[in-house]
Amino acid sequence: MAQIDPKKFTPLKPQWFHIMLSLAGGEQHGYGIMQEVLNRTTGKVRLWPATLYGSIKRLIEAELIEESDERPAPEEDDARRRYYRLTTLGKRVLDAECDRLQELVRAIRVKQSMVTE
Amino acid sequence: MNDNKTGFALRVYRWLAEAFPHEFKLAYGTELTQVGEDVVEDIARRHGTAGLVRLIADIAARVPIEYLSEMQRDMRYSFRALLKSPGFALVSIISIGLAIGLAMTVYAGDLQLVFRDLPAATNVKQLVMPEQPVSYYYAEQYREQKNLFAGVAAFQSDVPFNIVLPGGANAKPERVFGQLVSPDYFAVLGVQAERGRVLSPALDRPGDAPTIVISDAFWRNRLDSSPDAVGQSIRLNGQTATIVGITPRGFAGAAAIQNEAEVFVPTTVRAALAPELANDVLHQRNAKSFLAIMRMAPGVDIESAEAGLDTVTHRLDEQDTAAPVRADKGGRVSLMPAGTMEPVPRDLRRAAIAFFAALMGLIVALACTNLSNMLLARAANRRKELAIRLSVGASRFRLVRQMMSEGILLSLLGGVAGFVLAYWFSVLASHLSPPTGGSAGPDMTLDWHAGVFSFTLAIVCGIGLSLLPALRATKADLTPALKEGSALQLPGHRRLGLRNGLMVIQVAGSLMLLLTTGFLVIGIDKASRVQTKFDPQSMYLLSIDPPRDGYTPEKTQAFFERLPERLKIVGGVQRVAFTAQAPFAVGGGTVQMSAQDSRVQTPVLVETVGAGYFAALSEPMLSGREFGAADERSKADAANSLPVILNESAARKFFADGNALGKHLQDGKHSYEVVGVVRDLSAGLTRARAMSYLPLTEHDFAQPPAGGVTIMVRAEPGSDALTGIQREISAMGPNLTIFNAQTLGEYIARSRSELRFAVRTYGGVGLFGLVLAAIGLAGVTAYAVAQRRKEIGIRTAIGASKAQVLRLVLREGTFLIGIGTVLGFLGAIALAKAAAAMADVLVDAFRLGTNDPRLLVGAPLLLATVAMVACYLPARRAVQIDPLKALREE
Repeated sequence: MAQIDPKKFTPLKPQWFHIMLSLAGGEQHGYGIMQEVLNRTTGKVRLWPATLYGSIKRLIEAELIEESDERPAPEEDDARRRYYRLTTLGKRVLDAECDRLQELVRAIRVKQSMVTE
Repeated sequence: MNDNKTGFALRVYRWLAEAFPHEFKLAYGTELTQVGEDVVEDIARRHGTAGLVRLIADIAARVPIEYLSEMQRDMRYSFRALLKSPGFALVSIISIGLAIGLAMTVYAGDLQLVFRDLPAATNVKQLVMPEQPVSYYYAEQYREQKNLFAGVAAFQSDVPFNIVLPGGANAKPERVFGQLVSPDYFAVLGVQAERGRVLSPALDRPGDAPTIVISDAFWRNRLDSSPDAVGQSIRLNGQTATIVGITPRGFAGAAAIQNEAEVFVPTTVRAALAPELANDVLHQRNAKSFLAIMRMAPGVDIESAEAGLDTVTHRLDEQDTAAPVRADKGGRVSLMPAGTMEPVPRDLRRAAIAFFAALMGLIVALACTNLSNMLLARAANRRKELAIRLSVGASRFRLVRQMMSEGILLSLLGGVAGFVLAYWFSVLASHLSPPTGGSAGPDMTLDWHAGVFSFTLAIVCGIGLSLLPALRATKADLTPALKEGSALQLPGHRRLGLRNGLMVIQVAGSLMLLLTTGFLVIGIDKASRVQTKFDPQSMYLLSIDPPRDGYTPEKTQAFFERLPERLKIVGGVQRVAFTAQAPFAVGGGTVQMSAQDSRVQTPVLVETVGAGYFAALSEPMLSGREFGAADERSKADAANSLPVILNESAARKFFADGNALGKHLQDGKHSYEVVGVVRDLSAGLTRARAMSYLPLTEHDFAQPPAGGVTIMVRAEPGSDALTGIQREISAMGPNLTIFNAQTLGEYIARSRSELRFAVRTYGGVGLFGLVLAAIGLAGVTAYAVAQRRKEIGIRTAIGASKAQVLRLVLREGTFLIGIGTVLGFLGAIALAKAAAAMADVLVDAFRLGTNDPRLLVGAPLLLATVAMVACYLPARRAVQIDPLKALREE
């Protein structure tokens, strides 16, 4: 697994990035991912259900996320739902993507300061 | 209200969620539906109707995406599966490729070439022409029928011209083919000039200085695309004519598939420029030397145009008091669509399409059956894998799709192979030189039509060949399939019904193909075989056409009278004779003749030959004499009857006892006296093999046919007399164009090259069927042996001999081959009969071919032998089965 270069996956598609970012905090089910993205972006980004599951399917095929067999505490557990989490590769890809975006943001800041001065 | 909307959106959502591929639904279906239910209220609240629409649009767009990605995966999977069995893949691709390649060759080469729309013409569907030639006078009368036709033009095709290009004052004339057209010809076709103008009745009037229009090919090839070609003068048959326009690219005249027209000369020029116009032919109502082409008036269809034209023709015929009253009650005119490269009579067109479609359908179906069979055998090996996948929840539809994608992938690759093959065929075909005279016909082109055709064919094949095996394989009863022991089941015939059926179809189809193509090959071969009594390389053929080089009739006559004496001086020359067509020509003109006191009209081929023709060919007369110098001077009029020589077939046809000498024949215009009978010289692929030979007369010398007058010179074998002959002719007539100089051997080889190509193609098709059948049978037998390994093992263990085992395996194959052979034999006879009934051209080929015992006995025997060998090789493996191993396999 270590041989795969995470850069191969970047830049990530926006919906992939949002899903993976939501899973950074731990396992989550589809509906949860959707709500998390909605809250995080204050309602600006909505992952529509079919797109969400289509992306999840492809993320699993790409081995960036996987189905989690660990369930949350029984009182929070929703037995009908499947939970997903990042794989090791997924984590490295997310890291690489975040680095890439930070670079971008840094570059943007420099440019912005040049314009405002 | 809002609740209503949400409820409706949710219903649509659920319905769409059900439409996802099975495997997607298994994994995410429940959650997808549930999330939808969870968020629908929220979405309606936040985004209103637009949000609901977006929700539905999202899921609706996703369904096809999922299917596509599944297909993509299937293709990848199939590709890997095929890589694992390269032998199977290769054989399949080659057989499908051959079938598609052959079908494409026929499509692009024969059908499309003939049925392609006339280039540059407008509204080609409105163009029609009578099948029979008409006189110019009749065409002018037809033009008056404004209710039927928007325009009527008359023209002559394949008219030769000897031309001298501008600036080449002293150059030798070249011979090009053109059309003699009425000035409204281009208007009727709707062809505009690319440069300059086309001919028109207003600008090209009788008595004006001669004007011509040239084709784009002429402009490019002979005038080097000169920008000031329009307005230049060229010499045509020794007269000066001005180029007024150039036609669009690709236009080579209507009905000009034999010889592309390079120049278009109006009928308003004088006869000195176009000898075809001599004798005031434009005003003679019986000179049927023109073709008419009509543009139907809006709203008129071909049937009503034909009916209307028939009435007019009847009336015109009745007005003509000079012509004999004809009693025929039937139609006198039949129209055919003329908006294609080669106008083909409607019934022939249907027959040709049907025949080729049947032949090609047979080939493609065979290849598909074959592959079906092999896929079936493959699927049987994968029975267990499929059963497992079914039992863990794969949908049958999904498995069928996956198996079909393998078939489609194979046939698509086969399509590519076929395209390459067809391209190769087209290159091969273009290397074959055309028969004598005129320019090469248009090359067959593989354009995007052909590409679409092969792609469609490949997809159809792919679906066709894989659907049955896929459905069958996935119908497997799970429980026995999962248990290894199932192979012990005796293979009942009912259970293998489909496979056996395919095998019978395969044998029958292959035999049909083999026999049908065999009929054609043998028929064509027999019909075109030429037997000369001397070395055909020792006879030289040269053609000249003095009137077109500016010779007056008197000068021409004198030239031909002196020529034999002059040529006999040349070293090695033994005999000299003239003829209007090269000996052993394929096809030729037919006339209806009848014996003097008989009303029975018989079609006979006519050849016009000069004095000493048969002597030059070393053909002794069976009775009577051959033409002499006196016959060349005979004139046909009411008082005199022309001498005629018949071949044996004609003599027997007209006079039951075959004793024709001194008897009289007539053809409506003239009366003929039989002066000699000669043996049947091969005449090529024609139905009427009765032939009559008429003498070459002054009239023919003054107006030679399209091929000019051919000079036949027999020289001593081994002597190269050709240079001397050419020098002698040039000395006599320095500005004469000598064309088509070749030996008789070369001429025969060249004029038969198309036939030989056809023979090879059909032969190849037949062999292809044979190979396919062998592959299919071998595959099926091998599969059967593999299936019955265990049974055979047990039989061997309890003492069955090798011969017994072999018999057991071969028995089934033999039975199927037997049934297939009988069916195929009957099918081939039926196909040949049907084809012969539909098209005259095929009658002779089939008549000669179907009589050949070698083929009738040989082909089924050959097929059966190949089939038995194909069964035997894998069956031998059954004998080698080690009973211990086979039994232990469980």
